[in-house]
Amino acid sequence: MSDCIWIHYARPRPHWYGLNATAKQAKQANWQAVAAASLQQGGTCLGTYHVRGQHDFETVELWRFPSAEAAFAHWSGLMAAGYGECNAFANNIGLASGAPP
Amino acid sequence: MTLLTEATDVFAAADTTGRCIVAFLAKRQPVLPGAFGAGERAAIASVLRSLQAEDWRLSVRAMFDPQGAGEPTAFDTGFAHAVDVAGAFEAPSLSAALAGTIRLEQAGWSRRFATEWLLGPREFATVGGTGDAAAHEWGFVALWEWNDAWAAATGPQRREYDAECDVAFAGDVALDISIAGRHRLDWASSWHHIGIWEAPSIAAVDAAMRGHEHAADFKFTTSRHFIGRRRPLADLIAMDRGTA
Repeated sequence: MSDCIWIHYARPRPHWYGLNATAKQAKQANWQAVAAASLQQGGTCLGTYHVRGQHDFETVELWRFPSAEAAFAHWSGLMAAGYGECNAFANNIGLASGAPP
Repeated sequence: MTLLTEATDVFAAADTTGRCIVAFLAKRQPVLPGAFGAGERAAIASVLRSLQAEDWRLSVRAMFDPQGAGEPTAFDTGFAHAVDVAGAFEAPSLSAALAGTIRLEQAGWSRRFATEWLLGPREFATVGGTGDAAAHEWGFVALWEWNDAWAAATGPQRREYDAECDVAFAGDVALDISIAGRHRLDWASSWHHIGIWEAPSIAAVDAAMRGHEHAADFKFTTSRHFIGRRRPLADLIAMDRGTA
């Protein structure tokens, strides 16, 4: 097992804004279920931050995972739940260096 | 693993589940005297030998022919791109891939190149061309993302699009292009996929691109392409900046 940081930038795709509130909530509930499962399996969400003022994306979300495979499983679950159809994104993975801060 | 998009007539889902591409887009850095030399080159070669022993494939060629591929190779792209070297390895797992990039960087790779590493699992198996692919010395690297138009399309619209693109991919194979399958990058990149070809000539790649344009491939994707000539990786590492 190795400590990984996973960095996720996102913004809604244009057609997201055309969905009604019920449809949005249903999709968000599915994505929240994926996140809950990842938390259950050892992932840690460090938070979601708003970056639209100085970035191409709207939010950045930070997670720690016990392995690269766990990060992939989290993301793969989101994509299978239609997350990428509603959000443009850019992701990154990093392995803890072990160096002191 | 759930595929991002479904298998097609040309592309079959891979049976090498878990193998992970380690693609690299590398730009040579100005090297100060003493910062990179024979010691670093030997250290990188040593890491590559270790990776080979750990069941890595150290070239695109090795994805087609793991036993007969020979020395590590990559594509010399500097004549056409800001990137000097493009290439790809294949690691036995995601964790091995990520750790391997750091081993190479620490051995001296990072002193030589500024590198964008692209990692992700294999989705589709290799598709051989019609001729002797080992003799092909041109490489073509395609990165793409499914764009907003694809995201807003219906399932039937996407399947119709896949069928149209499959005609173009069959045309690529008929041009004696070999396709190293498809790998998924989206978990750790803004790109969703990478596809790498071995081609007999730049003209073949150009003809293939015309086929993809005819099939409206790019209406649903935003893509970036690199073309380069296959060379031993050791030579590409040793080359001075700006020399042929």
